[in-house]
Amino acid sequence: MSSSPALLRFLSHALLDDKQRQHCSNLTYTDAGHGFDVFGLSPDWVQGMFALFQPLYQHYFRVESHGIEHIPKTGAAILAANHSGMLPIDGTMIYCDVLHNTHPARIPRPVTDHFVPSLPLISTLYARCGTVGGSRGNVQALLSRGELLLIFPEGVPGISKPFRERYQLRPFRVGVIEMAVRHRVPIIPVAVIGAEEQFPLRTQVPLKLFGAPFLPISPIPVPLPVRYHIHYGAPIPVYEGTSEADADNPQITKAGAARVQQAVQALIEEGLRTRKGIFQ
Amino acid sequence: MSAALITGATTPVGVAIAKQLLSDRVFAHIIAVGAEPFSEVSALFPSASVTYLQADLTHSRELRNLLFEPAVTHRVTTVIHTALHRSAQRSGQHVHQLNVESTRELLRICEQHPTIRRFLLRSHSEIYRVRAVEPEILDERHPIDLSPDRPQWMRDRAEADLITCAAMAVSPLQIVVLRCAECLVPDTGSQLFDYLCSQVCLQPLGFDPMLNVLSLPDLARAFSLAAAADQQGVFNIVGKDTLPLSTLIADWGRLRIPIPSTLLGPLYWLRSKTTGTDFRYDLNRFRFHFSSIMDGTLAAQRLHYTPQVPAF
Repeated sequence: MSSSPALLRFLSHALLDDKQRQHCSNLTYTDAGHGFDVFGLSPDWVQGMFALFQPLYQHYFRVESHGIEHIPKTGAAILAANHSGMLPIDGTMIYCDVLHNTHPARIPRPVTDHFVPSLPLISTLYARCGTVGGSRGNVQALLSRGELLLIFPEGVPGISKPFRERYQLRPFRVGVIEMAVRHRVPIIPVAVIGAEEQFPLRTQVPLKLFGAPFLPISPIPVPLPVRYHIHYGAPIPVYEGTSEADADNPQITKAGAARVQQAVQALIEEGLRTRKGIFQ
Repeated sequence: MSAALITGATTPVGVAIAKQLLSDRVFAHIIAVGAEPFSEVSALFPSASVTYLQADLTHSRELRNLLFEPAVTHRVTTVIHTALHRSAQRSGQHVHQLNVESTRELLRICEQHPTIRRFLLRSHSEIYRVRAVEPEILDERHPIDLSPDRPQWMRDRAEADLITCAAMAVSPLQIVVLRCAECLVPDTGSQLFDYLCSQVCLQPLGFDPMLNVLSLPDLARAFSLAAAADQQGVFNIVGKDTLPLSTLIADWGRLRIPIPSTLLGPLYWLRSKTTGTDFRYDLNRFRFHFSSIMDGTLAAQRLHYTPQVPAF
């Protein structure tokens, strides 16, 4: 998959208005020399994919953003969100939302599960848009570069939970806290409302293709046009009162994970209480 | 000023390092060691500051003669070991002898030497383990690929590197291992260079990993800085160019054809058998799927090395 600049330019011109193009034209990234950062992110691809997903973001899921001001304009931070909906559409909508609503536009760097880099085409597409594999080394490298990370601390159990258990968080993994404490970065809790209902009927085939834990199946071929509400909470300085060495302390990381999970759960409950309906 | 001894000196890497060391005045004299007779390589070393010696490093006696006669006479203080078998198609005991056993023996003799104090090894980025689960940025602590199914080309390089690293703890020598990114130059054992020699480059469908390539001047400068610095350790030597494989192929002016990964091995095996080329897909399979970029921070901090010259 080469950079295909002509196709990306076409997408941008066809699907973005002048204001949106201007907004995305000055994306900041660390160029490693050929228009890509070391992880393979390309601003052309970010803009092209943003253009491609813009109709979904604006017109299909009609995303409503709440509390975007909690995302710092610069410097490292971690967005910790609930994960749901069988397919990672929630991650895509957060990605679009952050790009759309931050000024200057910040590129969130989603952190995926280990199997994603093994997926043909998807791995490359994700990398061009800024996604990285979920290894400690990658996360450390990004945080030390002052990037904004998007992590789903529930992992695969979050996205694969049955419909009847919607909006019930799976236990948060402690790795995100370890990184936040070690690098002294705040965690911004994020709640995604709507994604749980996009595939009400779903099942999983235990077929491990390219290392993926299961093959998601739904009788509904496309997600329902639910309205997404994305709520960003106030940054949680989980590193306060700790030293960098405490990143290895299981008690501190467990307590931090519970604190962040509580904050996300509170945002979810607030979001569910204030929304008027699944499609509104 | 003291002198240095360079093994593998007749390769483009060896020649570039010798010239750089002399131009930077790190050493007053260089003993260049190669396998070829002087008559074949005399044009490479016109300077009076270079003494060329032919030696077979797989013979322990020749190594001793080399180090305890001319090296003592010229008061050699530093050995720069770059000699490795370049062909990935060749394997067996003799290749292992040159790649691994000569490194071990050279280290041992240097430890007993009256004037030699420093040992520099040219190692390779290819020895790092590259998998989907591994970080894409590889620092010096990144795991080495010791899988038993890897080709000898890689296992030998890993073993030579680890022998030298292990010696750091016990040897009286000051040891430096420079794990260099791939240098796209002929006759250096570069798999990527051989891959790019073909007019058509086949690439795994759906994968476009990031690569880092190093220029010959940067590689030589890194050795010069390492030779001059009072440092011991392992350092990643990165190049100025970090780019996707597809961009590298395009910039090299080649036609890129993505095909399913399973076909690449047999096709490149056929290519090497019919045209005698060196590129082996099994050797490069993982890094043709997953990004692997070395982190050069440590070399920048302690050797003051940063890449300056584009590789192509």
